[in-house]
Amino acid sequence: MNPTYVRIELARQSRDIGNLMFTVGLPAVMYLLFGNMFGGGSAQAGSGNVKFYIMVSMAAYGAAVATTGIAGTAAAENMLGWGRQIALTPMKPSGFIQSKVAVALTIAAAAAGVVFIVGAATGAQADSWSVWVLSYAIAVAGSAVFALYGMGVGMSFKSETAINVAGGVLVFFAFFGNVFLPLSGTMLEIARFTPMYGFVGLARWPLLEGAVATPGATADSFWWLVANLVGWALIFMALALWAMRRTRSRQ
Amino acid sequence: METTIQQQQARGGPDQAEPALAMEAVRKTFRTAQGPLEAVAGIDLRVGAGEIVAFLGPNGAGKTTSIDMMLGLAVPTSGRVSVFGKDPREAVAAGEVSAVLQTGGLLRDLTVRETVTAIAALHGAKDRVDAVMERTDISGLAKRKVSKCSGGEQQRLKFALALLPDPRLLVLDEPTAGMDVSARHAFWDTMRADALEGRTVLFATHYLEEAQDFAERTVLIGAGKVLADGPTAKLREMTGGRVVSATLPEGRPVAAAVAELELLERVASVRLSGRRVHVTGPDSDAAARLLLGPLGATDLEIAAPTLDAAFMELTGAAS
Repeated sequence: MNPTYVRIELARQSRDIGNLMFTVGLPAVMYLLFGNMFGGGSAQAGSGNVKFYIMVSMAAYGAAVATTGIAGTAAAENMLGWGRQIALTPMKPSGFIQSKVAVALTIAAAAAGVVFIVGAATGAQADSWSVWVLSYAIAVAGSAVFALYGMGVGMSFKSETAINVAGGVLVFFAFFGNVFLPLSGTMLEIARFTPMYGFVGLARWPLLEGAVATPGATADSFWWLVANLVGWALIFMALALWAMRRTRSRQ
Repeated sequence: METTIQQQQARGGPDQAEPALAMEAVRKTFRTAQGPLEAVAGIDLRVGAGEIVAFLGPNGAGKTTSIDMMLGLAVPTSGRVSVFGKDPREAVAAGEVSAVLQTGGLLRDLTVRETVTAIAALHGAKDRVDAVMERTDISGLAKRKVSKCSGGEQQRLKFALALLPDPRLLVLDEPTAGMDVSARHAFWDTMRADALEGRTVLFATHYLEEAQDFAERTVLIGAGKVLADGPTAKLREMTGGRVVSATLPEGRPVAAAVAELELLERVASVRLSGRRVHVTGPDSDAAARLLLGPLGATDLEIAAPTLDAAFMELTGAAS
């Protein structure tokens, strides 16, 4: 990873004000909508309240949307031939991916940060400050997995719509990953294998320690959530590397 | 071709025996919906250190695919490519080879200076940014967005990026494609000024004129194969003759006329299609005189050499 390259890339991303506002602002708006949809927002949930639960969920989702979108720009860059230009430098594909992930994580940190600030201002509560810090850190760090996802999907399909597809599928992942609404029954059993389940489960760990919001559902083990996240990280990593190598040679 | 290599090696001295570029029986086949497509059908090529070589051929001849393999951007289906005795990827990582790619793009929303700085950082050559921008005459564009630069300016920017690692071998894939005549001359002036000093340069082009003006050696490539390889001056002689064509009169033996034309000095070839005869050679005047005078031919045309003509000449001779 190259700091100068990351700095220039960040400057470039932050020039796209419209996209940035959307990426950073939307999760907070979604938190305000969902957070007030359930009357019992201030009801107890684990070591905090329901609003905190929804805040973490939306921050995690927002961070994943940000990393998917930013990393997906790598696909558009490749289509312009930038990947070939980069391939003429000593930077390896893995270095390019790391730099992209670093940029994506910076924007994701901003998106999740806005949700947490809005949450703190509107009644999200936790028993200790460490729950806040850990939840935030996990939501941001874990979203790196979706940077790999965005890059992999974006580069696998050679069209500009690929990144929209990636964003759309992410909504599906979020729904099926138990991010938006608590799932139950068979849906929940399937959800345990989907890409966002481990991520959001870990982000909620400081609050719930594996408990599932659905009444009567069995709790998740910490290692199951980690296995889910790591497993999908490896799959997306392989996809991103494969797609990147492929786009370097002309088709 | 053999003599060329020997000359180059002799000039380079014994310590330079390692060629800048070596391709041995290199093939590249792409899988397409219509079945396999052989873009490069067995290329052997050695470029000695310090040579300036034109890679001349029409579109679809396999130039870009060959260049991709020289840079490790594509892997040959069979055969071997080495750059200064190394694997091309290693040579790229070591900054020994760099290129201006035809399809290698730029990010439109970066400024010129940001682009140079970003790539310089990856090469660990940030101290060369100013010098390289000065050399390629883009210092005045530093703050301009890439999207606002003309084609020629973008090409100079790509050239600047290629110079950042201070490469020993510089590969240029149609560096002047899409430029008008004056921009093309300006580009080559920049190139010649001092950037090429001491470097080995291989450039692809489909302009015969560019090969003539800038390369000592020309490799003519067509249908994924090397058709001719030698000093550019020699190639020009081979293909540089004008083509005189005329229709031979009815009622006279054609074979005798052809024989007479072939006897002319410095005639490279005589081809016949129906009663139309095509004479290729540097001395078009003599051929024209003979055709219009003693042979009584009509509809005389004299055409300047084109790359297409050169190709017909070479491929016609081969078959």
